Amino acid sequence: MWTDEQVASRQSPVPSQSASARSGGWALSYWRLETGDWRLMTWSPATVERAEAILALYPNPRSAVMPLLYMAMHEEGRLTDEGMQEVARWTGVSSAQVLAVASFYTMYKQHVGRHLVSVCRSISCHLLDSSAVIDAVADEAGVPAGETAADGSITVESVECIGACGGAPAVQVDYEMVEGMTPDKARALVRWLLDERPETVRSDDLQERFGGARSFDWGPADSAEAVGPFPAYGPYGTVGGSG
Amino acid sequence: MIEPLLTSRMTAHPADSHTIARYEATGGYDALRKALKMKPEEIAAEVKASNLAGRGGAGFPTGVKWGFLAPATPRYLVINADESEPGTFKDRQLLERDPHQLVEGIVIAAYALNTNRAFVYIRGEYPRPARRLHAAIEEARTAGYIGDDILGSGFALEVTIHLGAGAYICGEETALLNSLEGLRGEPRIKPPFPAVAGLYAKPTIVNNVETISNMPWIVTHGGAAYDAIGPEGSRGTRLFSVSGHVERPGNYEIVMGMTWRDLIYDLGGGVRDGKALKCWIPGGASAPWLTPEHVDEPITIQACTRLGTMLGSGGIVVMDETTNVVAAALSLVRFFAHESCGQCTPCREGTSWLERILERILHGRGRMSDLDLLLDVSDNISPGLRWPPAMTTICPLGPSAVSPITSIMANFRDEVVAMIAGEVPAGV
Amino acid sequence: MSEMVKVTIDGVEVEVPAGELIIKAAQDHGTYIPRFCWHPRMEPVGMCRMCLVEVETPRGRGLITACTQRVAEGTVVHTKSEVVKKAQEGVLEFLLINHPLDCPVCDRGGECPLQDQTLSHGPGESRFVEEKRHFEKPIPISDLVMLDRERCILCARCTRFSDEISGDPLIEFLDRGNYTQVNTFPDEPFASYFSGNTVQICPVGALTATPYRFRARPWDLEAVESTCTMCSVGCRVSVQASQNQVLRLLAVDSEPVGHGWLCDKGRFGYEYLRSPARLETPLVRGDDGELREAAWGEALSVAAEGIKGVVARHGADAVAGLGGARSTNEEAYAFGKLLRGVIGTGNLDARMGDALDPALMATGEARGLIGDLERAKTVLVWGPDLKEELPVLYLRVRRAATALGATLVVIHPRVTGLDREATHVVRYRPGEGAALLDRLARGDGDLAAVREALTAGPVVAIVGRAGLTESPDLAAAVVAFAAGLPDASVLPVTRRGNVYGAVDMGMAPGLLPGRVLADQAGRDELAAAWGLSVPEPGRDADGILAGLADGSVRGLLLLGADPVAENPDRAAAVAGAEFVVSLDLFVNDSNRAADVILPVVGFSEVEGTVTNLEGRVQKVNRVAPGIGQSRQATEVLGDLAVLLGGSLGGPADALFKEISAVAPAYRDITWDGLAWSGGRDGILASNSGLSLPRPGSDIDSPAPGLALHLGRVLYDAGTMVTAGPSLAKLAARPMAHLHPDDAARFGIEDGGWAKVSAGSGEAVLPAAVDPSLAPGTVYVPFNFALALSGNSVEVSAATGPGDAP
Repeated sequence: MWTDEQVASRQSPVPSQSASARSGGWALSYWRLETGDWRLMTWSPATVERAEAILALYPNPRSAVMPLLYMAMHEEGRLTDEGMQEVARWTGVSSAQVLAVASFYTMYKQHVGRHLVSVCRSISCHLLDSSAVIDAVADEAGVPAGETAADGSITVESVECIGACGGAPAVQVDYEMVEGMTPDKARALVRWLLDERPETVRSDDLQERFGGARSFDWGPADSAEAVGPFPAYGPYGTVGGSG
Repeated sequence: MIEPLLTSRMTAHPADSHTIARYEATGGYDALRKALKMKPEEIAAEVKASNLAGRGGAGFPTGVKWGFLAPATPRYLVINADESEPGTFKDRQLLERDPHQLVEGIVIAAYALNTNRAFVYIRGEYPRPARRLHAAIEEARTAGYIGDDILGSGFALEVTIHLGAGAYICGEETALLNSLEGLRGEPRIKPPFPAVAGLYAKPTIVNNVETISNMPWIVTHGGAAYDAIGPEGSRGTRLFSVSGHVERPGNYEIVMGMTWRDLIYDLGGGVRDGKALKCWIPGGASAPWLTPEHVDEPITIQACTRLGTMLGSGGIVVMDETTNVVAAALSLVRFFAHESCGQCTPCREGTSWLERILERILHGRGRMSDLDLLLDVSDNISPGLRWPPAMTTICPLGPSAVSPITSIMANFRDEVVAMIAGEVPAGV
Repeated sequence: MSEMVKVTIDGVEVEVPAGELIIKAAQDHGTYIPRFCWHPRMEPVGMCRMCLVEVETPRGRGLITACTQRVAEGTVVHTKSEVVKKAQEGVLEFLLINHPLDCPVCDRGGECPLQDQTLSHGPGESRFVEEKRHFEKPIPISDLVMLDRERCILCARCTRFSDEISGDPLIEFLDRGNYTQVNTFPDEPFASYFSGNTVQICPVGALTATPYRFRARPWDLEAVESTCTMCSVGCRVSVQASQNQVLRLLAVDSEPVGHGWLCDKGRFGYEYLRSPARLETPLVRGDDGELREAAWGEALSVAAEGIKGVVARHGADAVAGLGGARSTNEEAYAFGKLLRGVIGTGNLDARMGDALDPALMATGEARGLIGDLERAKTVLVWGPDLKEELPVLYLRVRRAATALGATLVVIHPRVTGLDREATHVVRYRPGEGAALLDRLARGDGDLAAVREALTAGPVVAIVGRAGLTESPDLAAAVVAFAAGLPDASVLPVTRRGNVYGAVDMGMAPGLLPGRVLADQAGRDELAAAWGLSVPEPGRDADGILAGLADGSVRGLLLLGADPVAENPDRAAAVAGAEFVVSLDLFVNDSNRAADVILPVVGFSEVEGTVTNLEGRVQKVNRVAPGIGQSRQATEVLGDLAVLLGGSLGGPADALFKEISAVAPAYRDITWDGLAWSGGRDGILASNSGLSLPRPGSDIDSPAPGLALHLGRVLYDAGTMVTAGPSLAKLAARPMAHLHPDDAARFGIEDGGWAKVSAGSGEAVLPAAVDPSLAPGTVYVPFNFALALSGNSVEVSAATGPGDAP
């Protein structure tokens, strides 16, 4: 795998840009952060700094693939081919290996709008008529579940269990939880997203405005703000507010 | 009724149970101080003596699992916070409302297991729990409970949160480890078990959030005290998530041995709108269902095994008399088909096939031959359709999809037949 | 090696090695357990679930995959019980529900494990009434491989091969569950040198090779086992032909060499055999100065008379022979006997100036085998980029470093295919190798850790010339160093097909057949055996070409050799020869000006023996006739010998008998003993008493200015690549690679143009910035087209190819 020297000098073995049909597979080249002038970098300096911090958390750089995929989504608002290639360079695996991982997990999305509304359809929500909530959300957003509005404002999806069975039916907006949904509240939520076009969303605000019965007492509010269709988490830099 | 072991702090101090100030003010981290004065193997012995069983689903005795940890270094402790089993939301509450209890448990367990590296794998759809736990870890680091020299003991520990990204299968411990290594969340062939070759092929213990949250109590009160709670074979308290057609859904920490009637009717407030109980799932989506004749059975591991089901992840889903069981089974089977990793042929192909047969039946295109077909396809995933299930697959996800099929065929065959015959409105 | 245990399989007790997988143990004792994902050369994954069997446990019988469960003393396995039957039939039904019913138009039809299993174990009719899974029908995932995802049963053999074996993880499982598919990253094709292996191991028709698609049905193919001669590794192959045309090569698993793998050059290179450019009739230069077709009789007599004329005018010393490295041992032997014994010249060489000291190639001192890699603690690779030059040896070294945990040290002027697996990577500028070797031997400074690693034996050292500008003496010096490492096995490596065999046959001036020094005693003994006189050692390839240039060599015989293509500087020398005879498959840069060109047969058209880089002698076999009037080279050489007043000793099998008698290193080897059916993977030539060359200290010197590294790539512009349509597309274009600092200094950008001048050559090449180079080094992939020589280059920025002189 890696030599100590590579790790120590923060060089990562990366698939060469010239890995083409003619190169006989997967060549290696090296990417020096200190002298980034000869190696194209597509990420912002803040993200680069965070990526380095994430890599330092793991004994093996490949473990950083999943966190870095979220950071790639944050960088461009969705997961792009270039984003995956960047993750491959950081972690020393091939682009295909990154895509293999990204496509396995449902939350890495190549086609997604400004906000993501995920309606739970698993058993507890199903029993409390989540399908009516899905229909209401899709109708109000003007797109069927699984699709993105033409203007890119919103993506609607029905998802499997999000761990809000006690507050069923439940939805998440950019993975921020709203429990105790009804079709009407769901419509209002979507309307608000489309009309207000909020830059960020906070789960406590959403719950207060559009939610109902909760799985349990949430306690005091959380100041973190979700900034896009990926989980808002400080160490990944994917969060707004003071979270 | 004894005082809840895990949830009393969040009940008593709803405004700040997640802060280190409240945690310390209510005796928090005293167990860690005590533990650091003990030898690691003494703590492991207390855990073994407690007869604490894993709270993630498999219910394997935690102390025994720890005993399998191979001596090689480095070695890892991984906390499974990938709570994704439909009907289960207890770990979410523990993470959000009492994260320091988990942090203290992690430090104790890591000390007992002689590891300096712990990871917490939290499902991606739980950013709020992840943020709360991250804040708690940072508070603990500042206070000296995590770091290079914890409370002057010389013991060092780093704890890293890793977010999943939407894959139920990562709750299976070897799939979780693959995911943590930056791979697809595909379960591994066992043996080797993680205790021998886990994360990065090094010895690894994977424990559930609730399991580890019990560590401070066990260290404080001793394994014997824990072993004194509840009936033999089902010791201690457990957090059950109750949902579905009940009046008061929520998480309930109970001493095992209580009856289903107590849990569903007393704590859960009974079936919603005064309807009659039709059936319930006793331990998350993977568990075969129980029916009203079982309401006075005790909630114990042994009783569930006797009835051909399990307490699993502790997710209890109640269905009332109006429930369309074919639609309910479809929801469950579709879940497993959606979450199948795709490695094993029977699970990859079989769960989707079952889903499509149920869908046909539900939409009025069923055939009488589907009754046998459902069971035979199920049998090819879980030979003999017995409990605990035999498997033609690497992990139990495929056989889990069989539970709703056998449940409706054993208990509600008439309804399925009637639907195929067009006697009840299809497509509900 | 391992302890044996008693195991009961279907009621029969057998003895098998402890820890063996059930599936293997059963197979070795005659019980075939059906499987799709398991492959004996890859780690088991237990995914397809087809090999479920029942194993007795303390808790009763349990279903378990035979490909993942290892046997222990007393293991009891049931492979045919009702439960097993039901489980296997269930898995098969699951595999078939989404598998298309297109067997009649599928390349795999007739040799398809899924089809075979379905016929023997499958359900009668389908209970699956839903729509099957659909994907876009075959999509090209590279220039050589097509992927049909509807046929794919997701066994992961291809993805595992690419990740685990070849280290090119360019195809992967994407998506999950019922939507899982194999595919590549968008716009990053499956450009692996080893992609053909995935086609061969695909258990269905999901992966097909474009060169073979729709060309034949398996039952129409005639197959012979043979040895791939594309490089000197010598992989065992099955050559399959229909209607006298080779249509495909499949790897045959051989434990000592190929492990069942081939590189794509070896697998798909056969296409050159049916190139329309192949020579079909003899050509003779007419009075008008043009080559014209001629009858064999005329061509042979013109050839013989021409050689006689040169000998008569200038003496036998003025005749020289080059070639044999692409021939069989018998052809090379006959060529050497013709040159030495009949014509009487000692000027002969099979090496084209790019190989190693012949003594190094024929020595027995510390000589290792590829199989030594299986037990190596440390592997040192100081030489060519194995992935580019000896691809299957690369796989074996990679296996040692990954699966077997050996410490790998790679020393090369730039990044190589093995670096990713290496514990230590050392770079140097061409010309500074000897200095590096000194520092390494002392363990100086940053080399201390590398030196330390080399103290852990057994050490396997694979040593050759890293690039064409590098002195062969450096390789000799490295071998001398490596031979002294603990429990050392040394493999001196050079690429060309049968160059080791040709040298063993005496096709190098200092050596006689059978690894015998061409000293007086050796010559006397050979002369006695031949009944012909044997001349003193003459010139090597460089000496011959120099002689042609200065007029001291006047007549040239070429046996499948094209020295000019490799270095255009040599064109004038060859053109200046008085008389040139060429035995070849093609008209090329070297024989274009010849007086006589005699068409001979090539790979798959000739029976004979070849010798690989270990000294392993293996058979090549004939499955198709030659093209047109082309003839066996041994016959042609024999006819020439007769016309020159001598005799060589008959057809190939007779020649080999003579080799066994005359060549000491081949003394115990017989033609019959080499038959593949004999269950052996070739026979090792016995080691000679030749000692290692010990080069002096004056091996190389730092290049003034920029150092040129001229390295080979697998798909170069050689005939075997360019004469076949499939590989021709892949031929690498020449490029100049510069270290970023140098590129910046000269104002050259990645993707821009650079003018490179070296020796008498000059070229304007696309530029690539390559941080793996040591600063001050320029890397140019050797491409036949460029006359770059010397080890020092000058570089300047250029605006485009139009700047070319």
